[in-house]
Amino acid sequence: MTDLPIVGFVGLSAALLAVGLFGILTRRNFILLLIAIEIAMNAAILNFVYFAAYAGGTPGLTGQSIAVVLVGFGATEVAVGLAIVLALNRLKGTINVARATELKL
Amino acid sequence: MDLTSFAGPFLPEIVLLAGVLLVYLLDVLKLRSNELVGSIAVAATGFALLFVVADLGFTPFALLRTLPASSVDPTFSGGYPLYAFTSLGLVFQAIFLLATCLVSLASLSRPREERGAPIFYGLLLLATLGMLLVAVAADLIFLLLAIEVTSLATYLLVGYTRRDSRSLEAAMKMYIIGALSTTLSFFGASLLYGAYGTTNLYAIRAIGILNTGAGAGSYPVLVLLGYGFLIVGLAFKATLVPFHAWAVDVYDGAPTDVTAFLAGGSKKMGLFAFFLVLLAPILFVRTVASGSPFTTTQVALGPVLQITLAVLAVLTMTVGNVLALLQKEMKRMLAYSSISQAGYMLIGITVGTAPALAGATLQIFAHVFMKGGAFLLVAGVSAWGIGPLIDDWKGLGTRRPLAGVAFALMLLSMAGVPLTVGFVSKFVLFSAAVQAQGYFVWLAIAGLLNSALSVFYYARVLRVMFFEQAAPNPLPAGTVVGGSEPPILPAGGFGYGRAAAIGLVVIVIVAVGVYPQMVLGAVQSAAQHFVNFGA
Amino acid sequence: MIYEEIAFVLLALVAIATGVLALLVRELVHTILWVAVFFVDLAALYFLLDAPFLGVLQLGVYAGAVTVLLLFGIMVTRKRIFSQEARIGIGAIPFGLAVVTFIFVVAAIGEFPQSSTTIYTYDPTALSQNLFNVNGPWLLLLGLIMLVAVGGAIYLVREGRE
Repeated sequence: MTDLPIVGFVGLSAALLAVGLFGILTRRNFILLLIAIEIAMNAAILNFVYFAAYAGGTPGLTGQSIAVVLVGFGATEVAVGLAIVLALNRLKGTINVARATELKL
Repeated sequence: MDLTSFAGPFLPEIVLLAGVLLVYLLDVLKLRSNELVGSIAVAATGFALLFVVADLGFTPFALLRTLPASSVDPTFSGGYPLYAFTSLGLVFQAIFLLATCLVSLASLSRPREERGAPIFYGLLLLATLGMLLVAVAADLIFLLLAIEVTSLATYLLVGYTRRDSRSLEAAMKMYIIGALSTTLSFFGASLLYGAYGTTNLYAIRAIGILNTGAGAGSYPVLVLLGYGFLIVGLAFKATLVPFHAWAVDVYDGAPTDVTAFLAGGSKKMGLFAFFLVLLAPILFVRTVASGSPFTTTQVALGPVLQITLAVLAVLTMTVGNVLALLQKEMKRMLAYSSISQAGYMLIGITVGTAPALAGATLQIFAHVFMKGGAFLLVAGVSAWGIGPLIDDWKGLGTRRPLAGVAFALMLLSMAGVPLTVGFVSKFVLFSAAVQAQGYFVWLAIAGLLNSALSVFYYARVLRVMFFEQAAPNPLPAGTVVGGSEPPILPAGGFGYGRAAAIGLVVIVIVAVGVYPQMVLGAVQSAAQHFVNFGA
Repeated sequence: MIYEEIAFVLLALVAIATGVLALLVRELVHTILWVAVFFVDLAALYFLLDAPFLGVLQLGVYAGAVTVLLLFGIMVTRKRIFSQEARIGIGAIPFGLAVVTFIFVVAAIGEFPQSSTTIYTYDPTALSQNLFNVNGPWLLLLGLIMLVAVGGAIYLVREGRE
C-alpha cells in the first residue's frame, strides 16, 4: 500500500500552473510559449491523475481515462502550433516578426 | 455500443463528416475548383440543417426525423450519459449550421483560381462539426474536447491562405490565446472533477441541487476555483472583456469570410458552452430562493458567480461599445461591436431564467445574421476597390444602392431598431432581466444605455454611406487594400453566392423582425425545457 | 510510508525546478533538455501514484514525441525568426499574476486531509474497459481533433507547387 499526501500534489500542480502561466505571459519566443502551455497542461493532467488515485472506483477510472485522452490532445496541440510557426517561418523574408509576437493580453 | 442507435441521432454530424471526407478526396484527385468544393459544403450543411430542423419537431420534415422525440430532453435514470439532446441544443445546432451555410454560400463567389478551396471548406465543415457536438455535450470533458475540434480548425482556417503574413500572424496569436484558454479550462475541469468525482454537467447539477454525496459542500473553495478557471477559459473563447484583446487583431487579420465565421459561428459556441457550464451553479440560487435546504457554503457559490458574470457582462458591453466608437476601420469597428454584443448575450446567462435564456438565444440567432452578414458584405465590397477605412465607404449607398441598403439594414438591426430581428431579441432579453427583479434591472438598464451608445457609431457609418460624396478617385475594381502589408488576400468577389447569402440575411432580418412568432415560440419552449432539464 | 513521501518531495522539487529552468535558460537547446527531464519526472510521479499505464504514455508521448517535435521546431526556426528574442526578463505583472494564481489554488489545500492517505490502484483491464466502452466518445472526439490537425497542418507546411 502506498501512502502519499494529497496536499502535496495540490501544491505541486498549483506551482506548475503558476510556472506555465508565468511563461506564457513573459516569453516571446514561440517555442518557449509552446513549452509553457504544455507545462500548464501537464499540471491539469497531474490533477486528474492524483484526484483519480484518491477517488477509487468508477470515478477514479474516469479520471485516469481523462488523463489518457488529454495526453493525446496535448501532443496534437503542439503539432498544430508548430505547423503554424513553420508556415510563418517560411514567409520570414517578408514579415515583421516583432508584430507577430507582440501579444496583447 | 449499438452502431445504428448511435448513428441515428448523429446523422447531421455524419453528413458533415461525409462532406469533409468527400472534399478531401477531391483535393487528392486535384479537383480543386472553388464552385465544386463549395457546393458540396453548402449541400452538406443544408442537409444537416434539414435533419436538425426535423429533429426539432418541425412537422413538414417529419419524414427526415432520425432522433426519436423521446430522446429529446430525456430524463436520466441510472447514470448520466456523455451527450444528451436538449431542444435548446438542437436550436443551437440549427443556428450554427445556418452560420456555416451562409459563409460557405458566400464563399462560392471567391475567385475560381484561388487555391486551397478544399482545405478551406474541409476545415469549415470540421469546425461546424465540433460546434454541433458542443451543442449536445452533457459532460465537461466532452464539451471541452468538442470545443477543441472547432478551435484547432479555426486557428488553421485563419491562417489557411499561408502566403499572407497578416493572416498567419493572426493565426499565431489566436493559437497562443486559444491554447492558454484551453489549458485554463482543463485545469478548471480537473478541479471540479476533484471536488465532485465526476465531470458530468448534469450529475454536478444533481449533486448541487439534491445535496447528496460528497458535493460542493465538502470542497467549496475547490469548486469556486474550478468554475473560476472555467469562466476565464471560456471567456477567451467568447471574447468577453478583459479577455477580448486578441479578437480584434484576429478578426482584422483573418480573411474576411473566415472573420464572418468566427464572429457568427465559433464565438457563439463559446457562449453556448457558458450556458451549459454555468447553469448548474446559477440554478443553485434559484432553487434556494424557492426554499430548498442548502448548506451555507453551497448557497454562497451561486451569487458569487452570478455577480462575477454580471460585472463581466457590463464591462464587455461598455468597453466594446466605447472602443467601437473610436475605430476608423470598418472591420475593427464591427469586431468591437461584436464584442459588445457578447455582453448582451451574457445578461441572459447571468439572469438564468427561462425567458432570459430565450432572449440570449434570440440575440445569438440575430447576431449570426447581422454580424455574419455584415462581414460577408465587407468581404464582398473589397472587390469593388473599397478600402478598410470607414471613410472609404463614402457614397456607397448611392453608387451601389442594393448593397448599401442591405448593409444599412444590418446596422439598424444591430442598433436594435424596431421591425428588425435585433429589436425583437433585445426586447425579449431586457424584459426578461426586468422581470427577474433585483439587480438584474440594472443589467437591463446598462444594456439599454449601451444600445443607445451603439447607435452613434452605426449612424456614423450610415451617414458616410448615404450622405457623403464618394472619394474622387476610387481604386480600380479588383484591387484589395489590406492595411500596411502588401495585399495578398484573395479578392472577395460579389458573385451570385454572396448575393444569395446576403439576400437571405436581409430576408431573415426583416421577416423575423416583423413576425417574431416564427422563431420565438420554439426558442422559448426550448429554453424552458433546458432550465428544467435533468433536474 | 516515509520513503514514498521523500520520493514525492524530491520529484516535485525537480518538476518545479526543471519547469522554471526550461523557461529561463538562454540557450534554446538546453530548454529542450530541461523539458525532457520535466516530462520524465512527471512520468516518474505517475509511477509513484501507481498509474503505470499513464507513466508509460507520458514517457512515450510527452518525453518522446513532443520533445522531438519541439527540438525539430527549434532546429528549423532557430537563427531565423526568434533567436534574438531568447533573453531573460521577468515582468513584475506576469510574475505577480503567477504568484496570485498559485496562492489561489493553494487556498484549496485546507479542504484536504493533511496527512498521507492510501491511494487506489487500478487494473489496466478495467481502465481500458472504461476508456473504450463507457467513455468511448472522448476517443472519437480526440480522433476528430487529430483529423483537423493532420489535414490543416499538412496543408500549412507543404510547399505550394502552384
